[in-house]
Amino acid sequence: MRYGFVIDLKKCYGCYTCTVVCKAANHTPKGVDFAKCYQGEIGTYPSALRQMLPTLCMQCAEPECLAVCPTGATVQDENGIVTVDRDLCMGCKYCMVACPYGQRHIVPEWENYYPGAGDDLDQYQAYAKATWEEKNGYGVATKCDFCRERLKQGRQPACVEACPAKARYIGDLDDPESEISMLIRRERGFQLNPEFGTDPSVYYLPAR
Amino acid sequence: MKAQTEPVREDVWIPTSCGGCYSQCGIRVHRVNGVVVGIEGNPESPAGSGRICSKGSAQLMTLYDPYRINYPVKRGNPQKGVGADPKWQRISWDEAMQVITEKLRAAYEKDPRGGYFQATTVQTSEIRFAVIAFMRAFGFKNYWVSGGGLWCGNGAHFMNGIMHAAWSIIPDFNYNNYAIYFGCSKGHGAGHAALQTAQQAADARVRGMKAVVFDPYLSTQASKAHEWIPIRVGTDGAAALGMLNVILNEINVYDAEYLKLKTNAAYLIQSDGDGYYRRDPDTRKPLVWDPVDRMAKPFDDPAIKDFALDGKYNVHGTDCTPAFQLLKEHVKKEYPLDKVSRITSVPEKKLRRVAHEFVEHAQIGSTITIEGKTLPLRPSAAIFFRGSQGHVNSGWTCLSIDLLNQVIGAADVPGGSMGHGPPVCHGHPTTGKPNTVPYPCEDGLMVVKGWVYDHKPYPLRKPQPPQRLDLQDMFPCSVYNAFTICSPNWEQYLRTFKIDYRPSFMINFGSNSVMTMGNAEQVTENFLKKFDFILSFNIYHNEFTEAVADIVLPDSCFLERYTPCVTFPSTFCHPTGLDQWVWQIRQPVCKPLYERRDFNEVMIEIASRLGIKDKYYEAINQIIPIRYGGDMSPRYRLDPKKDNTWEQICDNVLRDRLGEDNGLEALKKTGLEKWRAKVDEKYWRWFVPVRVPIYFEYFLDAGKELRKVTESFGMPEIADYNFFKPLAQWNPCPSHKMENSEYDMWAFCWRPSFHTQSSTQNNPWLDEIATKDPWVYFIQINAETGRRKGIKDGDMIWIENPVGRRIKGPLRLVQGVHPEHVCIAGCHGHWARGMPIARGKGVFFADLTLCDIEYTDSITQGSDTCVKVKIYKFEEKG
Repeated sequence: MRYGFVIDLKKCYGCYTCTVVCKAANHTPKGVDFAKCYQGEIGTYPSALRQMLPTLCMQCAEPECLAVCPTGATVQDENGIVTVDRDLCMGCKYCMVACPYGQRHIVPEWENYYPGAGDDLDQYQAYAKATWEEKNGYGVATKCDFCRERLKQGRQPACVEACPAKARYIGDLDDPESEISMLIRRERGFQLNPEFGTDPSVYYLPAR
Repeated sequence: MKAQTEPVREDVWIPTSCGGCYSQCGIRVHRVNGVVVGIEGNPESPAGSGRICSKGSAQLMTLYDPYRINYPVKRGNPQKGVGADPKWQRISWDEAMQVITEKLRAAYEKDPRGGYFQATTVQTSEIRFAVIAFMRAFGFKNYWVSGGGLWCGNGAHFMNGIMHAAWSIIPDFNYNNYAIYFGCSKGHGAGHAALQTAQQAADARVRGMKAVVFDPYLSTQASKAHEWIPIRVGTDGAAALGMLNVILNEINVYDAEYLKLKTNAAYLIQSDGDGYYRRDPDTRKPLVWDPVDRMAKPFDDPAIKDFALDGKYNVHGTDCTPAFQLLKEHVKKEYPLDKVSRITSVPEKKLRRVAHEFVEHAQIGSTITIEGKTLPLRPSAAIFFRGSQGHVNSGWTCLSIDLLNQVIGAADVPGGSMGHGPPVCHGHPTTGKPNTVPYPCEDGLMVVKGWVYDHKPYPLRKPQPPQRLDLQDMFPCSVYNAFTICSPNWEQYLRTFKIDYRPSFMINFGSNSVMTMGNAEQVTENFLKKFDFILSFNIYHNEFTEAVADIVLPDSCFLERYTPCVTFPSTFCHPTGLDQWVWQIRQPVCKPLYERRDFNEVMIEIASRLGIKDKYYEAINQIIPIRYGGDMSPRYRLDPKKDNTWEQICDNVLRDRLGEDNGLEALKKTGLEKWRAKVDEKYWRWFVPVRVPIYFEYFLDAGKELRKVTESFGMPEIADYNFFKPLAQWNPCPSHKMENSEYDMWAFCWRPSFHTQSSTQNNPWLDEIATKDPWVYFIQINAETGRRKGIKDGDMIWIENPVGRRIKGPLRLVQGVHPEHVCIAGCHGHWARGMPIARGKGVFFADLTLCDIEYTDSITQGSDTCVKVKIYKFEEKG
């Protein structure tokens, strides 16, 4: 199977829940978002529109980040999810340059979320830091992995489960009968910048 | 260096209710080895169905925030004022309680009436016990709820109570096809039951529901809508009345059956009777005209064959006209589209088209069968909230918009506008409680049964010499009023109205009124500094505590305490349009850290120390039936002679409302109790024998009686009695009367869905998204306006109001703002030392507003939140 994502831009209203629950679920450090949501304007007054664009790692079928990785740290699993082996990654940042979607993140060190608190971490941050270090660590080009651990437990990725508008779907792109395959076919699903040639596994449904 | 994750000794999920905003969604909290490590939606809860939002998820950072208040502190600096450094000194709980008891006892002995309670609306369910019980037990009536001035719905809640028995209205997303939004965000992540409505609205969009949004700002809801109609701020009521004119006098299509049976449209008005009903001389009941029998009959006469809505009739020698005919004539004369277009800046053509679409989508005459019951299907709705009603015309704007729903019969029926939260509940199957079925008054008009506060929206309060320090109890329909207490004339008002006591102490629960009541200086100098002693319960220090608090107690946050009923009263935050009722509790997911203690527990202790705990318990016994629909069974009434802990109180309330098997211990396991919602609860309008007014006859007496009282004190100018008329009207704000002035723009504020009023800006996760958001921390104006004024994106600019008060911030030139307007996210621009993350980010809009009678609705005493300003570039010296 090949894991894929559908984000329905008609349902999404730009609440940033995906960004925050991803941070909570993955215990990402300060400033690091695996699920960024961009917002901007289109058109001119009075016909202007505002558009939301939630993003995450596109888990491309032909990942540029994998192609350029010199150490073999970046691998694609049997379900199409691209992961990083923290022990093999040397932090060369080639993948960061190569990824056309800006979905790689290097964390130099854990920075306290609270100004003036120094290294004195509260109980949650101490837990989050330890969890982050165990899975990702520092100087490693980390990324979204569609919440692979949750998928293994039969759960959905955190951003899918939480989305207040139920705008996000995960499923099997290889199965033409899966919910996401049907949505992509029937609702004119599209990939972001397909011209980059990486065949992203994340599809969007048009906002209008 | 790599940290070691601990071996897992404990890994549990605890069901409870979110407190990140007042929506109270069901959540489950993940605790590992005693540390809370995650908050997710509770899939078992209909209130959110397993979803969570950014605010809720980020509350994890509130629990352990090192800037939380963890110990009692007292003010070290006697100087009070905006921006003062309080020089906090840590004290013990013993010392704090001693000082509090001493101060409060002295006030109690001198004159208990001088007490004042102030509370946040974010912790909605907490305030229903300690605040009200303490006020009653101690013996004072002065109360301010934060947001009541600038951020809440004085007009909205009042009018929705009268028309829908509810706190708000919302489109029935299950069946609605066309919704007109006037300055509100229902279904877009903010407001009551935010998660559930977000999902319902998203599904409705996909289904093809169209939304048309009137707003000066291209808000989230406008971005997602079928159409954004930029409108001049504060003129929504005029737009609604213009469209009503089109519907009644051009299209001439309305739901006659609804108007005849569910409103007072057919009630006869005496032509020479100053606008009063023509009443039956014997029964005093309002009369209607039966065109079949050609005679007048009491409105509820079972022998009525039909009701006349139009025409003129002679009843025992006097000419009478049905109220509906008067409404039609009134909107034709007063709100022709050319005039409305000049007021609102919306082209006539657009207003006319939307009115046509609204009526067409209503499918008047169509029905739907749900659970075997055949009901009208009216998939068209007009809704409103803070943006449109935060003006001088507050009450009438809400009513005018709702009249659109009333004339097409789209009120609390499938597809139409629904009371929100759902106001009609038949109760839990085992107890029949809460029972909140409205009933008719003698004139047939709807009276709510359960309500959020003591005074019901209808019948109106009888104007009487005031006892409260804000004079609220003198006004017939006032909910909260800031214009008295925050104006420089407060003392003059008190003397004029012969209030023979003065403010003595304030207890504040979580409110940051310095930022949410008006401009900070007026609020602080004129109001808050008048108290001898201010005790505040907080989780953070904020602008309020630093400006004026004498003692601050470390409150537990919503993750550290019990609350027995968070989704009721249903009128407040229960999701609408669901197949299930849900009663949720809040329970601690960990013991309060440090020396934090729960507000409700501490207030019981304060009452005990003051020797008034018996009255406190008795007050709770009295509150429950009003707030939670139905008398308490004697078995669960609190014994005033005993010591009742907060947990025991929670247990009693739960068993009383939900049955003896559903006490606190049982509810702790699931966090909630669910039962089926029936169709006659969900779509209750045609199942409950009540009418609502389209003609506000009773305003006539309310205005006259108010004038009588105010004249008796020599201050009739405290209200504009022209507001107290039976037919809907639009009145301008002071800003609308300033033409050809150098103050050539309107400033107003909006609310981002990822912040809760002024309470979440210091949350580091929410600050991260706000920082990346292109708008929330900026002042937005239309790009073309900026070009004309020679100011550029990124410039620092001043915004100055006509009395010289000004605020500064970074400019963002956008397309999504009406060209005459300056648009600012409300409740930002914190300056408190206790909020280092929020400090200096965004702009403090409320500083431009003014608390005075001129900026106040004469019906509801709500505050005006638009202001004429001039803008210019900030030039750094040197």
